[in-house]
Amino acid sequence: MFRKIFLPSILLVLAYGFWISPDFKEISAGVAIFLFGMLSLEEGFKAFTGGLLENLLHRTTDKLWKSLGFGIITTTIMQSSSLVSVITISFLSAGLISLAAGIGIIFGANLGTTTGAWLVAGFGLKVKISAYAMPMIVFGVILIFQKSKELKGIGYVLTGLGFLFLGIHHMKEGFDAFKDSIDLKAYAIPGYPGVFLFTLLGLIATVVMQSSHATLVLIITALAAQQITYENALALAIGANIGTTVTAVLGAISANVEGKRLAGAHLIFNVVTAAVAVAMIYQLTHIVDVVSGWLGIANDNYTLKLAVFHTIFNGTGVLVMTPFINPMVKFLEDILKPRIRTTEQPRYLNDASIDFAETAINAVRKETLHLYDNAFDIIAGGLRLQPQLIRSDAPVEEIIKPSRRPTPIDIDAQYRQNVKGLYSEIIHFISKAQSSMTPGQTEELFALRSAGRGIVEAIKDIERLQKNLDHYMNSPNPSIREEYESIRLQLVSVLRGLAVVRDQGGDSVAILSLDELKVEVDESDTLLNGAVDSLIRKNLITAEMATSLMNDSSYAYSAMENLINMGEVLFSTSDINIRDAERSLALEEDEIDELLLQSERRQP
Amino acid sequence: MKIKKLFAKAEAFLNSDKRKRKEKKKCLRHILKKLRKYEDKLNVNLQNETDKDVIDKLNRKIALVHAQRKKGVALLEELRERKKSD
Repeated sequence: MFRKIFLPSILLVLAYGFWISPDFKEISAGVAIFLFGMLSLEEGFKAFTGGLLENLLHRTTDKLWKSLGFGIITTTIMQSSSLVSVITISFLSAGLISLAAGIGIIFGANLGTTTGAWLVAGFGLKVKISAYAMPMIVFGVILIFQKSKELKGIGYVLTGLGFLFLGIHHMKEGFDAFKDSIDLKAYAIPGYPGVFLFTLLGLIATVVMQSSHATLVLIITALAAQQITYENALALAIGANIGTTVTAVLGAISANVEGKRLAGAHLIFNVVTAAVAVAMIYQLTHIVDVVSGWLGIANDNYTLKLAVFHTIFNGTGVLVMTPFINPMVKFLEDILKPRIRTTEQPRYLNDASIDFAETAINAVRKETLHLYDNAFDIIAGGLRLQPQLIRSDAPVEEIIKPSRRPTPIDIDAQYRQNVKGLYSEIIHFISKAQSSMTPGQTEELFALRSAGRGIVEAIKDIERLQKNLDHYMNSPNPSIREEYESIRLQLVSVLRGLAVVRDQGGDSVAILSLDELKVEVDESDTLLNGAVDSLIRKNLITAEMATSLMNDSSYAYSAMENLINMGEVLFSTSDINIRDAERSLALEEDEIDELLLQSERRQP
Repeated sequence: MKIKKLFAKAEAFLNSDKRKRKEKKKCLRHILKKLRKYEDKLNVNLQNETDKDVIDKLNRKIALVHAQRKKGVALLEELRERKKSD
């Protein structure tokens, strides 16, 4: 109900305001242009999130001071704490960083966002920034029309900055003109009632505009035009800080539990900081005066003093709250628990990561590995083996022999229960994520999709093989029994080889050693075909047994081929360039055949 | 001269084809170095081995790694040629 009437009410109030005051119209247009600039700036920085930003984030979150530093620096550069929050949530959802690191980044972003006040108060109000805005917009738009992703990104950033400057200019002009008709200062309220009222106003303004940055610029321009008092401006700034968390909380409603926890941390940080600031506002004002004195800021330069206040207030928050990050993580994990996960539910796919190519690719990789883990158990069951035995160090022959007696397993039912749904989710996520990717990234996503398909096909191959395997594994005919035993043995060797490569953590030499497995599989297939011929000639197996064996050996061959190809894609390192180079070095089928031929010729 | 250099640098950054090629060359060299070390290690193991089955396995591994390295060197050469022709 509230949501339904919220938007029309805002539009009506604005329309009425525009009708009665052209100055109000100019200020509002300034805010709108400023917000549009922020959208454009975010769009521009997204062009550079195809690796660089994510790589940085990945490498700089192992220690708390690094996460804090990352939050401060990126928010200072991008002038958007919301973009940093969104990327952090997407990283958290994809399981790439810890909640503590995420909280560190959010704390840092809170401090980084204070640089905006300095830029506007120190530079934006003194220089006629609209003069810079026009060329920036023109150059930016020309660059947006270019094909290159990087140029497009630079174009969006330039246009964004241009609109930010233009927005500030209009807000400034609007307040200057406003000053002549109405004196808002007449409505100033001194003392604590004023602090509370203006904190609430700052909160509401930020919720409506969805940007604390815009509120702050509005406060600074209004303060410069002497439309609000310095004390009320401080309260508005505190309100804006709480307001920005309302945006984050609203955004987290649709996010997964990690996103909700991060939004919770954001809320706790900003509410506690605001409470401290409101309680100690007069002491803080005194500190601001002292610091401003040190920095050589004139006593009546309230806009710069507001910037000082904003920094001190957020800095105090970081100092007070940082020691409590770990208890906060524990508290949030206790109150916000994930839904109980079953094996078939996706663990890493989340809509939050769709907009960030590298993160989305990493999420798909992790989820496909999860799919492989589910499939591994089914394949092991199909071969009548315990999965943990395949992963153990025990000699393959030793684990195969005692487990001949079939224990019934319904591969199809297990496939439907643990694989099918997850596989569909991966395919669906890939189709949604690929729209904003470069050709190289799309190719990577397709490789992952085909790895997933390989896993599913391997299960199907094992299912086809299973009936005869159960039948002939206990046959009184030792020749056919032996052949089926060797098929099992080869399959287990491949599964174990894959587990060894996976354990090496994406080392290039290990990935390329999968070619060895390919050679082994090819050789054993040739040997088996030769053996079938010989067994038929010697009348050791019937024609019916021979056809079964030939069919089943081709199913086993296809399963192994699919699994090795999957390993090449899934187990490789997360660096896209290294993966690309590894793939170009891996041998093709004809190159492997050539190598086998050469080794046969060399043998005496 | 300085401005020319700056333009050349900016062009190198923005010309993503060139950048990708450079990156690929760097990655190839990195992997080839690792493969060479691995091949050397396998050769040392081969010299100390007496079991025929293990010797056969090692010989096959060495042949494979050698083929991969050969492929990589040919790829690097191709990238160099392409750079020259640009």
